Amino acid sequence: MNPPGQSTRNDVVLREHSFDGIQEFDQRLPNWWLYTLFGAIAFAVFAWLFFTAANGTTADTRRLAGQLDALDAQRFAAIKNLDDQTLWAMSRNPTVVAQGEKVFESICYTCHGANLQGGIGFRLSDNLWVHGTKPTEIFGVVTRGVPGTGMQSWNSQLGPQKITQVVAFVLSKQDPDNMVLIPRDQEPTLQHKPAAP
Amino acid sequence: MALTLPNRDVVTTINRDGSRHFLHPADVRGRFTRARKVVAAVILAAYVLLPWIKINGHPAVFLDVAERRFYLVGLTLAPQDLWLMFFLITGLGFTLFFVTALLGRIWCGWACPQTIFLEHLYRRVERWLEGPAHHRQKLDAMSWAKPEKLRRRGAKIFIFVLLSAVIAHLFLAYFVSIPQLYGWMRDDPAQHGSAFLFVAALTGLLYFNFAWFREQFCLILCPYGRFQSALTDDDTLVIGYDARRGEPRGKATDPRAGACVNCLRCVQVCPTGIDIRQGFQIECIGCAGCIDACNEVMDKLGRPRGLVRYDSLNGLSGKRRRVLRPRTYVYAALLLAGAGAALYSFSTLEPVNAAIVRMGGRPYFITPDTVRNQFNLRLINKHDAPLSLHFALEGAPAGLQLVGTNDTVVLPANEETVLPVVLQQDRGAYTGPASVTLRIAGANQTFSVPLRVEFLGPNAKLLRADTATPTP
Repeated sequence: MNPPGQSTRNDVVLREHSFDGIQEFDQRLPNWWLYTLFGAIAFAVFAWLFFTAANGTTADTRRLAGQLDALDAQRFAAIKNLDDQTLWAMSRNPTVVAQGEKVFESICYTCHGANLQGGIGFRLSDNLWVHGTKPTEIFGVVTRGVPGTGMQSWNSQLGPQKITQVVAFVLSKQDPDNMVLIPRDQEPTLQHKPAAP
Repeated sequence: MALTLPNRDVVTTINRDGSRHFLHPADVRGRFTRARKVVAAVILAAYVLLPWIKINGHPAVFLDVAERRFYLVGLTLAPQDLWLMFFLITGLGFTLFFVTALLGRIWCGWACPQTIFLEHLYRRVERWLEGPAHHRQKLDAMSWAKPEKLRRRGAKIFIFVLLSAVIAHLFLAYFVSIPQLYGWMRDDPAQHGSAFLFVAALTGLLYFNFAWFREQFCLILCPYGRFQSALTDDDTLVIGYDARRGEPRGKATDPRAGACVNCLRCVQVCPTGIDIRQGFQIECIGCAGCIDACNEVMDKLGRPRGLVRYDSLNGLSGKRRRVLRPRTYVYAALLLAGAGAALYSFSTLEPVNAAIVRMGGRPYFITPDTVRNQFNLRLINKHDAPLSLHFALEGAPAGLQLVGTNDTVVLPANEETVLPVVLQQDRGAYTGPASVTLRIAGANQTFSVPLRVEFLGPNAKLLRADTATPTP
């Protein structure tokens, strides 16, 4: 059988030089292998032009920034025009209150009690408030926490929307005209019996 | 016979000018060829069927990248279980060591996808449409203007592209599941642009590989072939030619000649274009084609089989064969240790991932009655069914308890949640910091995850002396 291109069939090719009788092979590399090398060199030129001269990366960066902005806009839509009136209105909206109650029952109950009666944390069912009586102030406490106490910032865990809902739930038990600001040491939850001797 | 003999110093498949010398291996029959066909059929069937077979409601193998859930024969893995990959990869490594030390490049010839798809799909189609090796060579030389070449090659290209497309789609099915893939296929390609591009590119790549690139992959690109060549020794089972029996080559009628009649059948059938009679070579993928080819000739000549055979290099040169040698023991021990560790870690896998971190701010709080620590407990349900979890403290000193947390927390399927966890100890019972275990258990004690928790507080003596009452 006669393979096509028999005359071009590979054979040993040696470099002309010889040292101590040792000679060097000089066979051709496979063409396809060389093409991958040439292709990589050509690609490097285009990649370099794309990423430096044509600022190919900033297009990506801009696209990403746009997407992040859109996400932020969506996330903060709930609190964009948040003020006391809005929060009070939400606290009278059964849908929002029910959503807030779910959040309360999964997180807040640990310290504030399943019936808001307090425990480790302050009692939220009474009308006495330590860190402000305005809904936005309560929102701020949940969002930022109270440094030095057991109340941590819940912003990263809950996000603005869930915090809004849970604040609406807490406010739903309150009368806007009957909230009283008290100093910290008068908070009833802190009125413990003295420590055992 | 004008076939030039391969030369060990050059690559047969590369011409002098660097262009490709395209091989057309001749047909071969025999028991190894038959056995390989059976093995290939089983492996191909597994490749095709695995995405269709359902185990526990999920495909047998489904790497759901979009949802980050990985289903392996009934097991559900989440990204949190990625550490198991260590055992999977080392397990494959140790298996490769052990099998290669014993059986040489058995993987390449019998189980590698490159060989399976090429030998048992593409080359079968080629043989069916273009005939035996010398017909294919004639077709290579023929001008494209001739209708015969256009017809035969055209049909081959069409079927090759079709085969590549099927393999590519099945590959994608392992990552998106069959129903979703089918939905995508019926949709407008523009709707699933990246998936469409991926399948198109993979189809192109497979076509290029199996229609043209072929053995070049094994000879030049594949790292496993090189690994395996490095893992063999003189006692490893390889395919070799018994030079003591075969040489000197000569006519069957020549009484002074050895068993080899220099018919070149072993060279003609070789898919990588080597002459096995030149000894063990890195190009040999261990397909056993030359064994079957030589045995057929030996049968016709009435000579015993096995001039080319599976044997160790020691066996071929007449030395003692050894299967059990230090290398086998070491590799077997490594394999057993690795397999044991992998089995243990896979069998003790829990459906929930839990981590506990102290809340930011103060490390502990002191109230008139208690010492208190607060934590965030992150729970991830890795399964697609709701889990109800129970919490219990173990090894806690008197008066230290979990407060405020419900007895049972129901975690919806695939959900992640962060819960506050508060540990509190009566001030009177407080004797100093303690290390306790928070155990999270599933319903009916099907599983449980222990978490080590450091309960922190002040020096007990100083606390007793101090009667002041700091904030909660």
